[in-house]
Amino acid sequence: MRRIIGFKGKSKSRIVATAAVTVAALVATIGLGTSTSSAAFKTADANTGKLVYWFWGESDIPGSTAWMQDAIKRYQAIHKGLTIELVPQNSDTLQGAFETTAQSKSGPDIAMQWATLPVLTPVWRGQVASLKGLVPPAEMANWLNTSENVSGGESWAMPLYLLGQPFVWNKALFKKAGLDPNKGPKTWKEFLATCAALKKAGITPVVVGDKDGFFGSWFQGTIGTQNLNSVKELQDVYAGKAKFTDSKYSDYLTKLAELKAKGYINSDVTSIDLTQGWQAFAQKKGAMTWTTDGNVATWIKAGMGADLGVQSVPKVGTGKLASFYTATQSISAYITSWSKNKQAAANFLVWLHQPENVKSWYTTTGSFPADKRFSASLIKDPVMKALYKLNTQPNQLWAQNYAPPQVDSQGLQPAAQGVLAGTSTAKQAAAAIQKAIDAWRTQQPKDLAAYKKWAGV
Amino acid sequence: MRNLFGSSYRHAFLIFLSLASIYPVWFIFQTSLKTNNEYLLNPLALPLHPVLSNFRETFTSFPVAHWALNSVIIAIFSVSGAMFIALLASYAMVFSKMRGVNFLLNTNIALMVIPPVTLVIPMFMLMVNLHLINTLASVIIFYIGLFVPFSVFFLTNFMKSVPYELIEAAKIDGLTPFAILRRIVVPLSSAALFTLMLVNIIYAWNELLIALVFLQQQESRTLMSGLSLFQGRYSINQPLVMAGAFVSVLPILLMYIFGQRFFVKGMMAGIGK
Amino acid sequence: MKSDQLISVGTATNSRRSERWPYLFIVPMVLIILLVFVYPLIAVVRNSFYSGSISNLSFIGTANYVNLLRDDVFVHAIVNNIKLLLTVPITTLISLAAALILYENIRGWKLYRVILFLPYIIPAAVVGLSFSYLLQGNGILNTALRNVNLDFAALDWIGSTTLSIYSIGAVIIWSQFGFGVVVLTASLLSLPTEVSEAALVDGASRWQRQRFVIIPQIKETVQFLMVLQAITALAWVFPYIYTITKGGPANSSMVMDLYIWQYGFSLGAVGMASAAAVYLLALSGVLILIYSRMRKRQSERR
Repeated sequence: MRRIIGFKGKSKSRIVATAAVTVAALVATIGLGTSTSSAAFKTADANTGKLVYWFWGESDIPGSTAWMQDAIKRYQAIHKGLTIELVPQNSDTLQGAFETTAQSKSGPDIAMQWATLPVLTPVWRGQVASLKGLVPPAEMANWLNTSENVSGGESWAMPLYLLGQPFVWNKALFKKAGLDPNKGPKTWKEFLATCAALKKAGITPVVVGDKDGFFGSWFQGTIGTQNLNSVKELQDVYAGKAKFTDSKYSDYLTKLAELKAKGYINSDVTSIDLTQGWQAFAQKKGAMTWTTDGNVATWIKAGMGADLGVQSVPKVGTGKLASFYTATQSISAYITSWSKNKQAAANFLVWLHQPENVKSWYTTTGSFPADKRFSASLIKDPVMKALYKLNTQPNQLWAQNYAPPQVDSQGLQPAAQGVLAGTSTAKQAAAAIQKAIDAWRTQQPKDLAAYKKWAGV
Repeated sequence: MRNLFGSSYRHAFLIFLSLASIYPVWFIFQTSLKTNNEYLLNPLALPLHPVLSNFRETFTSFPVAHWALNSVIIAIFSVSGAMFIALLASYAMVFSKMRGVNFLLNTNIALMVIPPVTLVIPMFMLMVNLHLINTLASVIIFYIGLFVPFSVFFLTNFMKSVPYELIEAAKIDGLTPFAILRRIVVPLSSAALFTLMLVNIIYAWNELLIALVFLQQQESRTLMSGLSLFQGRYSINQPLVMAGAFVSVLPILLMYIFGQRFFVKGMMAGIGK
Repeated sequence: MKSDQLISVGTATNSRRSERWPYLFIVPMVLIILLVFVYPLIAVVRNSFYSGSISNLSFIGTANYVNLLRDDVFVHAIVNNIKLLLTVPITTLISLAAALILYENIRGWKLYRVILFLPYIIPAAVVGLSFSYLLQGNGILNTALRNVNLDFAALDWIGSTTLSIYSIGAVIIWSQFGFGVVVLTASLLSLPTEVSEAALVDGASRWQRQRFVIIPQIKETVQFLMVLQAITALAWVFPYIYTITKGGPANSSMVMDLYIWQYGFSLGAVGMASAAAVYLLALSGVLILIYSRMRKRQSERR
């Protein structure tokens, strides 16, 4: 061990250097610390100061982040005293990151969650400011689908765009399998027959990614609600008035298991993300998938338009909800209860809905703005026209958003993953979801009470 | 003959381990030089037309330089803070006749095996109440605490090998305890200190959970917590994620390559047998 | 780790009994330990009896503990952590074998050593990111396997509920064995060479020399290393899981630290997370106990 003494000479200069670096860094952080603390004390006048905006949208609508960045630039040019910091968020951590920051009683001024329960849960936890008094009713009257975010008679969030969840297929691959490229499957029977024909032709029938869990909930939302007659019936199961193991709720898991067992879904479904699944669809690695308007718009831009067939999902149930299309305002922006600049935040949200912005949103991203003032005559592409028609039909529902986020992330999502990985049966999966509902009900009594009050059950 | 066989057998084992060690690192590097299209077409092959565009995009679409600075600041302060505290304590524990040395040593060993995740929630609440959340200080304080037990263990272990006569002689010369520490013990411990520094820096640089939870604002993130955002955001552009990964590994890689000569010697001093 | 030697150093002179400086020198250490360990440990136990979010806690007794044991996911998380403990002997064996070979100054040992330390310095999050691409169903490993017609071996490493935790275990072994090589090499190099040489003269075979002369001398380091690795496997695998599977698919790779993070921060159920943390503390307590028993027995034997 004596050998180390040999280092003595060299080490001295090393220590001096380390000390110097330390001192320099100390000076630097002290400087850094004071500069940030002075920034915190800005005036609370409307349209001045700083807004932090946690934005999400890229997965629904590719190109939306760039549009928002540009919009912020234009807004800041109008309001010189205001800076808006855009912080893009990720799908898989969107809800968790907001809950974490809410617990620190600080964070963004404007945040986004998916409509209904993902928005209303933080609302019930006191983390969101009501739009009442911040946004003029005349302005709000132009916004579409605001009812998705109403609780206690007040509106809590701003819709940015409409999002449908079309069922899409690749016409070229259909042709290759000897199928009619212009006719998508309308019933479960037809769907299975289509899958069989594609598989026989050596084509993966359905390609999706479910590593992040969303697809399982989408399947529940599109296929799993078709035996129900009302939204109320859906809410009952979360409020505890019905059991998820009842086949009218859980039949979709049997169908999912059937697809898996017959090899109609890509084998790596549980090791790739939703977006990676779409990438595989665009690479023609599968013939059908569940997607969003925004992705269809992107594929059309990339020249895939002629090969794309779109429609609503095959009809599998006989309930009234079977005729509903899965559409929502998707992500909604709200103002946090701790924001020191609520009016400025509200003014910005109102500005995003001004006609010129509504129009530029559409022309840049190709997705439909959630505003009455949007003129449908701008839509030229036949595929997009069909989607717009679906999105604006009166009967629509995004059922996933009626599940409390905890039930979604701890129940609906993992249960479907178990089925897709081929390790749990439909029955086990349904039981696991019921268990997650029960766990939420015992662990979050306050959320449950608010849910019941909101749903009127 | 048997020896020859044995030797090639052992070489095969080491070569296998070496390839396994290098490939993932090489994969990160080679992928970061590919365009997304090239990667999708042939993920395994060498980049035919290496591009630097992924690195450019890494730096333009995220405040990577700022994150790196945060990581550097956190590493410097937490590691130097912890080592200073540990040096003082270890010196006192090894070279004085104070009571409770055994108790302190055993406590430190026990603390080394406390899972940090069990401390995270109360620390988070504490930092919220102190208004330190989203400041680098919150993470620095936490890391200092986490580093101290191992550092004390490491340094006391090492200092036992410092000849006590040296300390006695210095004492007779009239040096204060702090002067002895600074002028005699620290220079003698340079290899051990260097290794300890490296081990702690690697920990600080690599830590994810605490950084993710305590630093949620874009400008307060560390390189690791920032990098974890890449994955969700660019799941369909893996070369870009790998470029971010490579950038975040590079500083520590360089430090290791230039310091690895001292590394083992320091380990010998601190862990010994 | 020779506390007996410490004491003998301390008793060298009796005149300094009343010295105050050593107590001053340990004050910072004591303060930081109180702040970062003692306070949080008390708080986490207290919080485990409450429900609600951080700013709004209400007392519910032991309900969290009961609910956790009823939660299949939590029980599964414990099982997974125990499965990950299997990485400890494997990692140690690999590290030990590599260190012993390097110790014999095999040709090129310097280069090998530089390379074998490499995984240790790569951040766990980066390791996780790159392995998530390497191990995907159609990822790099499987593409390579299919290229050489080994399709049957191209399993869905991280997308299968049965394989995912073992794949993560393999990644952890990859990332941890380098540290073992470093520590054990250091330990071997600081051994007095006479012993090993004496055994050589006695005509002991290499295996005998390693088994009966060298390994016993680094036994303590090996044990220490195993305890550190055990704690990593038990409670510090978050960065790997977070970047590779996020606990999926179907919670099949859920582990305790991810569970605590999820409940404490993503779901805002602090009480549940704290109770889970207390269970984790109890488990690591068992580990500490085993380790200190081993140490005690050894020092008695000495």
